Amino acid sequence: MQGYGQTFLLVVLICSSYAAYVHLVCRPERGRLLHRVATLCGVIAFLGLSATVAILATALITRDFTLDYVARYSSRLLPWHYSLSALWVGQAGSLLLWAWISSALILLFRFVSPQRGRLNDTAFGVQLACLCFLTAIMIFAADPLKPSLAAPREGLGLSPLLQHPSMLIHPPVIFCAYAMWTIPFSLAVAALLEGQFEGTWTQLARPWALFAWTILLAGLLLGAHWAYQELGWGGYWGWDPVENGSLLPWLTGTAFLHCLMAWRYRNCLKKTALGLAILTFGLCNFATFLTRSGIFSSVHAFSESPIGWMFLGLMVVLLLGGTTLLFRHRLALQPEKATTTLWARETMVLGATLLLLVLTLIVLIGTLVGPVSNWLTGHTVLIAAPFYNNVLIPTGLLLLGSTALVPLLRWGQPPTSVQRRCLWGSAGVGVMGVLGAWLLGAQHWISLLVAGCAGVATATLLASLVLDGRRQHPDRLWQGMISALRTGRRHYAGYLAHMGFVALVIGITGSALGTRRQEVTMKEGESLSWAGRVIHYVHLDQFEQPDKLVVEAVLEISHPGQTSAVLRPGRHFHLLQNEWTTEVDTHSTWLGDFYTVLNAGLGNGEIALTLVDNPLMRWIWFGGFLMGLGALLALWPTRVQQVRIQSSGTTTSRESIAVLSRHKELQQQVGSR
Amino acid sequence: MNVKGKMVVGATVLAGVIAYLAYLGASSSWQYYLLVDECVAQADRFAGKRLRVSGRVMAGSLNVANNRRQAAFVLEGTERKLPVSCRGTLPDNLAEGMEVVVEGALKTDGHLQGEKVITRCASKYAAEGVARGGKEGHATPSTR
Repeated sequence: MQGYGQTFLLVVLICSSYAAYVHLVCRPERGRLLHRVATLCGVIAFLGLSATVAILATALITRDFTLDYVARYSSRLLPWHYSLSALWVGQAGSLLLWAWISSALILLFRFVSPQRGRLNDTAFGVQLACLCFLTAIMIFAADPLKPSLAAPREGLGLSPLLQHPSMLIHPPVIFCAYAMWTIPFSLAVAALLEGQFEGTWTQLARPWALFAWTILLAGLLLGAHWAYQELGWGGYWGWDPVENGSLLPWLTGTAFLHCLMAWRYRNCLKKTALGLAILTFGLCNFATFLTRSGIFSSVHAFSESPIGWMFLGLMVVLLLGGTTLLFRHRLALQPEKATTTLWARETMVLGATLLLLVLTLIVLIGTLVGPVSNWLTGHTVLIAAPFYNNVLIPTGLLLLGSTALVPLLRWGQPPTSVQRRCLWGSAGVGVMGVLGAWLLGAQHWISLLVAGCAGVATATLLASLVLDGRRQHPDRLWQGMISALRTGRRHYAGYLAHMGFVALVIGITGSALGTRRQEVTMKEGESLSWAGRVIHYVHLDQFEQPDKLVVEAVLEISHPGQTSAVLRPGRHFHLLQNEWTTEVDTHSTWLGDFYTVLNAGLGNGEIALTLVDNPLMRWIWFGGFLMGLGALLALWPTRVQQVRIQSSGTTTSRESIAVLSRHKELQQQVGSR
Repeated sequence: MNVKGKMVVGATVLAGVIAYLAYLGASSSWQYYLLVDECVAQADRFAGKRLRVSGRVMAGSLNVANNRRQAAFVLEGTERKLPVSCRGTLPDNLAEGMEVVVEGALKTDGHLQGEKVITRCASKYAAEGVARGGKEGHATPSTR
């Protein structure tokens, strides 16, 4: 079967390069047939990659060790779902998955996109060129279907650390996000190549960017959750170079989404938006370079290979090309209206963009300081968490502050007198938030400031909803508020994402400042009190599973006023890898996580445990969920878009016209707010 | 001053403050990454400094406490050896003959007081034998 797979890959390379050439070079009016054939080639490329993925997936499930990839990453002892997950564990498999997802998205873009024209054709060509690059790497440097020199009876299996539910979905989610960022990037390059910078560009790029941002956020959170549950040190983020690599495009992607809004409502920050679209995709390639170049040893890194340098080369080309194109079109991309006040939304967007770019730069410096110092001085110098935290704290607080103010600001104009009064009222709520947090026991100035900002953010959101509700139905506030939520759904979805960010910051602050750890040894039947809980060690449980031996300590945790929970932290001995892993167990509430690690059995029923009290951890996952939910709600098409899709540019019904005109009115109202 | 001027001044002040904070963070947390041979050869230069030292756990030297909270071993390079004592959570797969990175401080008596051990094993990410890449089994909260 591998012979078929390699042929499929060759077909994909030929089809995608032909289709890219036609869409980038040939004008459709001169060769419609050429363009139709090229689009068909895009479909063939997708089918070819689907067939290749199917061949590799079947080989992994059936444990066909005649394939080198299967022999390296699978074994007969692995459950089938972990064996299948090996598809994205290895280097060649993950590239195949990335290419396959890209090809599916490219087709989706081609056939779902509401508009056709030169911009879309060029963007399609750029996307196919990216697909061509990925396929070429697979053919010439990382063949996923390479045959084994001598098929072994048993494969090497999957690293025990990767046998975790989060790891089943974390890598494909990250690759899906990287693939999805190709679309806004291709649209930005197409706009710059064609010189088309109309407002419709933002409508084309926005849904893809929002979706890519949400998927990347989900990938980051899944990775953090895996680290928290699987690596057993009680934390979730370690500023590892490779996790930094995934964070970088998310930071610039966040800035890009906000610049898109400024472009749409105020016709400004166009250069920044286009530059950020290119930079974000470039940073996706940079993250791939980090994992594959071998310049870092990390929990994520693949072995040293030339592939990483190819991705770095692509990133350099993208940055140089993007900068040149932006410079060429600098005059056409000038803002149409100058900013007249500091207290307007576009000013906040500009400030947030700068802060996010500063964070990106700092994370980039921290990530690259090791190899760069080695190159310059011959000694490798590394910098640790305090470097990141020193910058993250002030920038994070400023971002939180601007997030809190935004609902009561307007595009292009200072707040009205009513909005100003509401802002002062919200500041009062913020002071109450500080006092409340202090009374609840928070003492650190960062905790108090975060509590204050959270108070302001909540108050400004509610005030904005009340003002909008009154505007819509002066006599019936509730009806007005519901109506405001309906008509301004995109805005309120954005505020929901902002509230998610607030919850995320609350979680990060609580867990970073309030974490307590305790190393204890306990005898069977013994109890102890720690961090407001009573921990009772019941007994040590030992049993066998097909691929491992399991040792678990059974602990009963009781908390005053709460039902008790049973935790089973354990250690697993993986027979194939001859390796122990630690399996933590956690009792999670809104107040915090109680995290238990079994370090060792000491004999005679005695065990060594690490106990960690992580306050407000659940708020991190909840905040991430709210951010994603907000983005997805903002993605849902508005009524007017649905009408456009239904009417498909043909005869528009009276009802559609009425909806369109009503929508235009509402947009004008929202825009003037 | 117009709005643009105010924004430029604000951004400049902010950039300055953040650069200073980054400098403070870097100067308080930077550490050298060395091989055992480099570390032992320049022990005087690196004594008292925070280091990450990479080497192999010498066969027959590993001694782990029952509760897996302390360990002592000898880290060997190509020519030289470095005694190490460690306190804290140890990685699950710490074993003799394994490539590890120890983070800690070099004492004046020439031994490395480790706070964190990072193992580098032949991970499934890097099945071709890892000279530099590979997964790390992280040991303490500051990294993963």
